[in-house]
Amino acid sequence: MAKDRKKGKSGKIAFVFLLLYILFFAFAPHPKYIETDVLNTFSLPSSQHLLGTDHLGRDVYALLAAGAFRTLEVVFLATALSFLGGSFLGMLLGYFGGVWGSVIQFFADFVSVLPSFLAAMALSALFGFSPLMAGVVFGVGNMGEYINQAAVLTEGMKKQEFIDAQKVLGLGNFQIMLSHILPNIARQLFVFMGNKAAGMVSLYAGLAFIGLGTDITKPDWGTLLYQYRGYLTSYPLLVFWPTLCIVCLTLCFHLLFDASEEEEESTLYD
Amino acid sequence: MRVRRMMAFCLRWLAIFFVASLLVFGVVRLLPTGPAVHYLTGMNLPLTQENIESITKSMGLDKPLHQQYLTWVAKFLQGDWGTSLTSNLDIRTEFMAKMPYSLAISLGGISFGAVFAYGIGYCAAVHRGGFWDRGSRVLAVLTQAIPVFLIAIVVIHFFGVKLRIAKFFTGDSHLAIVASILIMACYKAAAWARVVRKAFREEMSKSYVRFSIARGFDKKKVLLFHSYRPVLCSLIAVMIADFASVFGGSTVLEFAFAIPGISYFLVSCMKHSDYTVLQSYILVVICWMFLVHLLFGLLLEVLDVRRRKGGLE
Repeated sequence: MAKDRKKGKSGKIAFVFLLLYILFFAFAPHPKYIETDVLNTFSLPSSQHLLGTDHLGRDVYALLAAGAFRTLEVVFLATALSFLGGSFLGMLLGYFGGVWGSVIQFFADFVSVLPSFLAAMALSALFGFSPLMAGVVFGVGNMGEYINQAAVLTEGMKKQEFIDAQKVLGLGNFQIMLSHILPNIARQLFVFMGNKAAGMVSLYAGLAFIGLGTDITKPDWGTLLYQYRGYLTSYPLLVFWPTLCIVCLTLCFHLLFDASEEEEESTLYD
Repeated sequence: MRVRRMMAFCLRWLAIFFVASLLVFGVVRLLPTGPAVHYLTGMNLPLTQENIESITKSMGLDKPLHQQYLTWVAKFLQGDWGTSLTSNLDIRTEFMAKMPYSLAISLGGISFGAVFAYGIGYCAAVHRGGFWDRGSRVLAVLTQAIPVFLIAIVVIHFFGVKLRIAKFFTGDSHLAIVASILIMACYKAAAWARVVRKAFREEMSKSYVRFSIARGFDKKKVLLFHSYRPVLCSLIAVMIADFASVFGGSTVLEFAFAIPGISYFLVSCMKHSDYTVLQSYILVVICWMFLVHLLFGLLLEVLDVRRRKGGLE
């Protein structure tokens, strides 16, 4: 009981922190990130430039804010797509099986064999790099694991007696799936989602770091890190800020959904 | 039973290869500018009507689509992977020359990672809440939070620029490869150690372990000598799933350390939209994943008795 409360608390703290984090980027006043100021490069944090300026005199805070929204867009899109699509398809697979089931299974195998990072890289090189595209590709690429997870969970649920009882009572298949199976497997799926969402942030940063079709007017955290990597020893703050952004966001997602790993585990020999 | 499963496995992979090649073929045809225009701009030739027509004819682009597709796949299977649009070099010889670097990084990283993961996971499972248990959890969260290229930058700067004890970008890239292998091994070990730990804890609650401990055997020895099979099975299962993401991870590392592997080659070619290299690369990845699944699938058959008897289907 006490542990439960503690878990809920850390989740709430993470949620509040995440909100503050987004608000910090959304509402604090900041100048335009495109404007360069050659006379005022590498300035330290001041009231005018909250986090200082970079090698072109651009405002670091404004750059990071622009990157934050692009990153959040990718994470949101990818997570929503793979969570909703993957869970739904996985439940269909686990519940019905059959021919369509094997088609879904093939789809899951296929997307998990093809590295989503590679697919995103290829598509962004051919059609131009955008958060929308990265989000969709990561979303579809991660669907496979959700499908497998949801299918296994649904199969386990389907064997239980109360589902048979529902069938005898005459409930439709979809009604059973949505109102009786889904609530029982949702928790595990959410935990899985939290782990994946955290990984998405650094995946996108890595893609931007490689910098295919990078556009200087569209800053990403990964792109910024690539540009600032030479200043690690001379101006460490420049590398520090984007890193801090990535680490904080990932930890937020981690705390928000996770904290679940060792539920009811045997403590017989400790 | 076993023959049927082998057949199903082969059929599935044939289908995956087929769909992937169709997809790649289709995506390239969807490009805003056609292959002929790409080739001409890549070679810095003027885009006249005549040039485009002659290239279209020499590349066989005037034939119907299904014929183009068939010739392409047939040539790939025969070992003729075409030439790069930007450098005009034979793609297969390029790949073969660069493959050892990429293979060294991914295989080295994975195997070291697996060994570390097994050791750390075992220590973490034996003492719940002990040093290894907490340490591995912290490591797992940290490796998720810090992107791999950041570590690479820090390593390059610390050892290469500050201490000046290692030269990463001059001479042969041995040091860079060792560094990449170690970084990847740490990342993989952190994630897999938790899986190993969980599997060991699961075994601990089973009756055969409890019975052995009740009879006076040492807990550590029972775990190490009697329950390694199921644990190895779960470790291998996550490893198979992670082999695909290895390509992504090694791309970033190769890029950060400027190691001339195939992923770095791909990145530099993609900057000029060199899609012939991309086509071959994707098919190579599929073949690689096929080998991985085949090999590890067989290994799992050997380790897992239930699977061998076909009871797990």
